[in-house]
Amino acid sequence: MFHLHLFIEYFKQYIKTRMAYRWDFVTQFIMNFFYQGINLIFILVVFQHTSSLGGWNRYEVIFIYGYFLIPWAVFSAFFNLWDFNDRYVIKGELDRVLTRPVYSLVQVIMETMTPESLVGGLTGLVVMGYAAWKLDLSWDLIDILLLFLFTLGSVMIYGGIYIALTSISLYSDSKSDIQPIIYNIGNYGRYPVNIYHRVIQFALTWVLPFAFVGFYPASYLLDHDHWKWYAFLTPLVGILYLGFGLMCWNRGIRHYRGAGN
Amino acid sequence: MRSIEAHGLTKEFKVYQSRPGLAGAFRDLLNRQYRVIRAVDAIDLTIDQGEIVGYIGENGAGKSTTIKMLTGILEPTAGELKVNGYDPHREREKFVRTIGVVFGQRSQLWWDIAVQESFRLLQKVYRLPDEQYKRHLGRMVEVLEIGDLLDQPVRKLSLGQRMRCELAAALIHQPPLLFLDEPTIGLDVLVKENIRRFLKEINKELGTTILLTTHDISDIEALCSRVVMLDKGRIIYDGSLTKLRLNWGGGRKIHLDFAKNVQLNELEQRTEGLPVKWEQTGQRQYIAHIHHGELAVSEVLSRVVQYVPVQEMRIEEASTEEIVRQIYQEGMTIV
Repeated sequence: MFHLHLFIEYFKQYIKTRMAYRWDFVTQFIMNFFYQGINLIFILVVFQHTSSLGGWNRYEVIFIYGYFLIPWAVFSAFFNLWDFNDRYVIKGELDRVLTRPVYSLVQVIMETMTPESLVGGLTGLVVMGYAAWKLDLSWDLIDILLLFLFTLGSVMIYGGIYIALTSISLYSDSKSDIQPIIYNIGNYGRYPVNIYHRVIQFALTWVLPFAFVGFYPASYLLDHDHWKWYAFLTPLVGILYLGFGLMCWNRGIRHYRGAGN
Repeated sequence: MRSIEAHGLTKEFKVYQSRPGLAGAFRDLLNRQYRVIRAVDAIDLTIDQGEIVGYIGENGAGKSTTIKMLTGILEPTAGELKVNGYDPHREREKFVRTIGVVFGQRSQLWWDIAVQESFRLLQKVYRLPDEQYKRHLGRMVEVLEIGDLLDQPVRKLSLGQRMRCELAAALIHQPPLLFLDEPTIGLDVLVKENIRRFLKEINKELGTTILLTTHDISDIEALCSRVVMLDKGRIIYDGSLTKLRLNWGGGRKIHLDFAKNVQLNELEQRTEGLPVKWEQTGQRQYIAHIHHGELAVSEVLSRVVQYVPVQEMRIEEASTEEIVRQIYQEGMTIV
């Protein structure tokens, strides 16, 4: 409850900060909108050329991709850990964070959030909606609740993996190039996993579970029978990975060496 | 009540060592070599509630590392540590509510938003009731003279203005213990004055314990009754400033201008047995370097004046800065 309250306060300040640079705010907003629009057109055009993929037809593939965009947007709105190493470890901002009575990771998240990234989720919904309309899918209330639950699970998976990766910075302040590699692997999650080799399938399910941020939950919403159990595992895998990420973070904080003066 | 209690407090860092050359780099890849550096070496430190303590030492002496352990940022490698009754690292979130921190080179405030917004956000972070917050902040604003700055974004403030706002931010939750790391670095005299006055005031009125590190010895002279000196991770002096001066600041100089010509050896004869060294600077001008003690000065003067009339005289006391420099150059001779 306290964290939620604090979160709203930070959010208000964030909006104020953005408003302080008025033109920047307006242009960013417009640019973001254009970017998302172009993205949308691009997705639809690209997928016009794929007729089917591993037994999934064009609109099903589009649907999966639409789902994939939603957790990613939510994740990148609240977890902006990309320049954590530079800003918090090398420049020493983490010292300040650690002298305040709020859980350190929560502070970092609140200080780096970019809520405007949520617009990307809207694009995802439009893409999904378009595909669902073409496929003539019927939606129950349960499906919408499940979509919500799956999204939450997927966001937790992203969160756990990237928090664990960010924790590496707490051990050594040299820059690591792992994040972009993981990002690229993450993109595999937006295609049906049955098109990959078994080893990759296994890795995407149990090692770096990116199949759970796109394909598994989306395929359940498409076709209730096929990947059912995998889809229902999404929130569970999310909790597991987030827990792992937080463990890495807490250990890293104990190991943190501080920035030199 | 004890503010800080540390026994055998130690922090070690593993430092990665690279071998020279390309071949060395390949060997490093397979087998890294580490060297362990003791930044803080088993120090004992006790500070009572209400003290103002100056923590001094050269760069790399371990000051910042100690402060970071005391504030809960770093976990000690070994030793016992209780600050305000808490284990700073283990009980971090509860503990930091009882301390205020100002790192001179790093801002505690949000760069892009107005100062008062930063304060408001801190009010929420520390969960302060409105009334208490307003009353306390109002007083600080008055004493620190920052009323006109409140609606400005931090990035537009000068260093002196920002520093005063930082102090208010660090004390917003009325902590019983305040850490200051180089609080007056780069500030002009007036701002320094203002800050020192403010610190004395909160120390007197609220009984706030203050631990400050500084390179500016005048901060210490103005504020601290006690000095802790650190060298290579160890405490080499812990005691009052007066005692430090008495023991090492023996270097008092008497500049003498005699009414007639005097020989050096005559003066030396006259003052035999006294802790004094003579230095001739002109035909009639001498400097008497006196080592310890108040008595020696009057004794030397009384013996000399009887023998030759003095035209002009000036007593110079060694500044704390000189003493400190001397200690670092020569090492501790008396402990």
